[in-house]
Amino acid sequence: MKNLCTDHPPFAVTQVGSWPRSEELLAALRERRLGRMSEEAFQKFADGEVERCIRIQEDAGVDIMVDGEIRRDNFYSFITDKVEGTRLMSLAEMLDTVEDKSAFEEMLQTLDAPAFAIRNPTCIGKLNRREPLAVRELEYVRTLTDKPVKVSLPGPYLLTRAMWVTAHTRDAYGDKPVMAEDVIRILREELEDLAEAGADFVQFDEPVLTEVVHSGDSKRRTFM
Amino acid sequence: MNRVVEGFTDRLRLGIHVCRGNWSKREDVLITGDYQPLVPAFARMNLHQYVLEYATPRAGELAVAGRALGDREIGLGCVNPRTDEAELPESIVDRAREALQFWPAERIFLNPDCGFACFANRGVNVEAIAAAKLRSMAEAARRLRQHV
Repeated sequence: MKNLCTDHPPFAVTQVGSWPRSEELLAALRERRLGRMSEEAFQKFADGEVERCIRIQEDAGVDIMVDGEIRRDNFYSFITDKVEGTRLMSLAEMLDTVEDKSAFEEMLQTLDAPAFAIRNPTCIGKLNRREPLAVRELEYVRTLTDKPVKVSLPGPYLLTRAMWVTAHTRDAYGDKPVMAEDVIRILREELEDLAEAGADFVQFDEPVLTEVVHSGDSKRRTFM
Repeated sequence: MNRVVEGFTDRLRLGIHVCRGNWSKREDVLITGDYQPLVPAFARMNLHQYVLEYATPRAGELAVAGRALGDREIGLGCVNPRTDEAELPESIVDRAREALQFWPAERIFLNPDCGFACFANRGVNVEAIAAAKLRSMAEAARRLRQHV
C-alpha cells in the first residue's frame, strides 16, 4: 500500500468534489451542449472559474484541493464528453425507453428529482475512451497550486447501473456484465493515466450503494 | 472495485465516497439508513479511504464504520452541503474527537457530506455559504491540531 501518512497534516481538510457553478458557467455549459460554443472557448472560460474555486479553497485553508467539477454536467454524465459509445440523455428523454416507464416517472416525482435537469450517460455502443476522463482537470489544477489534489471519478457500480438502458445498450453488449467488463477497463486505463500525471488521491463516487441496500428494491432503475 | 484498483494501491491514495443522495434540499426525500449493510463489502475493498456522510442523523452512528474500518482512513463528513448556515467549528471538533476513538488523527480527513453541486444545474448551495463551510472545517482542524 502507498505510504500515506507523510503527505498531509492530521485532520486534513478537503472536499468531496463539486462546487456551485456560476450563472455564467451554467450558460456556457448549455451553449456548448447545444453546439453554440466551441470546446476551446468553453475550456478557456472554465479555466477561470476553476481558478476562482482553487483560490477560495486556499483562502479557506483547505489542505487537499479539488477542481470543483466545474467542467462537468454532473459527476458521472460528463463521461459522455470523453467516452465513445455513450449519449447524454435527460431523464425526460429516457422516459420513453426505460424498462418500466410508470415506475420511473413515479420515482422521479416522489424523490423531487427534476427530469430535465439531470442527465444520464447512456451506453449506445462499444465503450472506449476518446480522451482521459479527468487528467486535464488534474493537470490544470496542478498549474494553480502546489497542494495535493484529489480527483473524483464515477465508480464502477454507478457507471454500470446508470449506463445500461436495455433498449439502447442491448445491441452493443447483449448483457450488463459484458458491458461492465469495459467499464472496468476504462477505469483502469484512467487510473494509469492519473498515476502517471501525478495524482495524489482518486475518489470513486458510488452513491448507488446506499440505494441498493436501503431502497428495498435493488433492481429498480433510478437516476443515480 | 478490487479489479479496478488492482496494481494501483501502492501508487495512488484510493477512496470511495458513498452517500444517500444530494439532488434535493428536502431531507425527507433523501435516503435514510446507516452503513451497516455495506460494511462487509467496504472491508473487502482494497481501498485506503472511506469518504462517508456523518453530518446528518440519517447516516446513523459513527461506530458502524469505526468498528469495521479502523485500519483505513475516514473521510469524515462533518458539514451538510445542503444547509444555509455554516456549521460552527466547535461542532466539527466534537465530531472529529468522536472519530478519534476509532482512527488516529493522521487517518482522519475532514470533508463535507457530499459535493455542493453534483448536478451542475441543481446545485444544493451557493458559493458564499460553501466557502464559509470550508472555513469552519479549516478552523476546526487548526483547533484539533493544537491538542493532538
